[in-house]
Amino acid sequence: MSYLEEDLKAALRRVEAPEDFAQRVLARAASPEARPASWWKELGRLLRPPRVQWVALSVIASVLIPVAGTEYRKQRQVRIEGEMAKDRLVFAMRFAGVKLHHTQQKVLGLTQTDNRL
Amino acid sequence: MKTLTAFFLAAAACYPQALDLKHLERLAGKAAESTNVTLDGALLQLGAKFLSAEKPDEARVKKLVAGLKAIYVKSFEFDKEGEYSEADIASVRNQLHAPEWSKIVDVRSRKGGDNAEIFIKTGGKDIGGLVIIASEPKELTIVNIVGRIDLDELSDLGGNFGIPKMEFQRTPKPPSKDDE
Repeated sequence: MSYLEEDLKAALRRVEAPEDFAQRVLARAASPEARPASWWKELGRLLRPPRVQWVALSVIASVLIPVAGTEYRKQRQVRIEGEMAKDRLVFAMRFAGVKLHHTQQKVLGLTQTDNRL
Repeated sequence: MKTLTAFFLAAAACYPQALDLKHLERLAGKAAESTNVTLDGALLQLGAKFLSAEKPDEARVKKLVAGLKAIYVKSFEFDKEGEYSEADIASVRNQLHAPEWSKIVDVRSRKGGDNAEIFIKTGGKDIGGLVIIASEPKELTIVNIVGRIDLDELSDLGGNFGIPKMEFQRTPKPPSKDDE
């Protein structure tokens, strides 16, 4: 047997794996780092550096704030108009009520001077 | 013009009991104080929506206006007598024809000149509309309520509260040369 054969035999001799080898392989496979990231996640990571996130947030805020402001003003205007309409309604009903009541009093012959009027 | 005419016809069709009170608007110029309230359609609904069911005063009004479609009030107070004519009243009265409208009250005072007429629109068991024409030598008031109304409740409202002191719509007469 030549030295080459001896060397090959020595190099390819059976070596038993350590006892915890299988556990370590399984543990490594289960760890997140071991999983290769999908291509779209990698692409997303490239497109989402911190600056882009801030720009995106700014753009969203610059759109949302005026929209929210307009909506708030609209709601406020509706509330003001509603309150005014309510006041007019109460006034009109009371006015009509007073005239009706006054007329009824006349009919009954019980007209009295109402100091509240 | 045709569009405008169609609009007014449509409006009249919506509120068939509503009176035409435009001819009275000229009296505002002569009046020391005039009150003009026009509440119909969406504005009436909006106002009713804002009435609180918690506050007793507003709750009563809310209950009353539930069946209403429109309210029109025109009232003029003059400094002197004779600023309005009987024709002004007659033009309102002439719009209230039987059998649709019934006059339920007609009070005439020769002494004081205080007159009051109440017309109701009858149809079914409910009162579908109300018109009050109250005239005094220096005052003329027309109230037109369109829709279902409870007269007792309305009268109670007037008897308990009186006319509220509100400044809107009250347009004081501009100072004349005599006042200066």
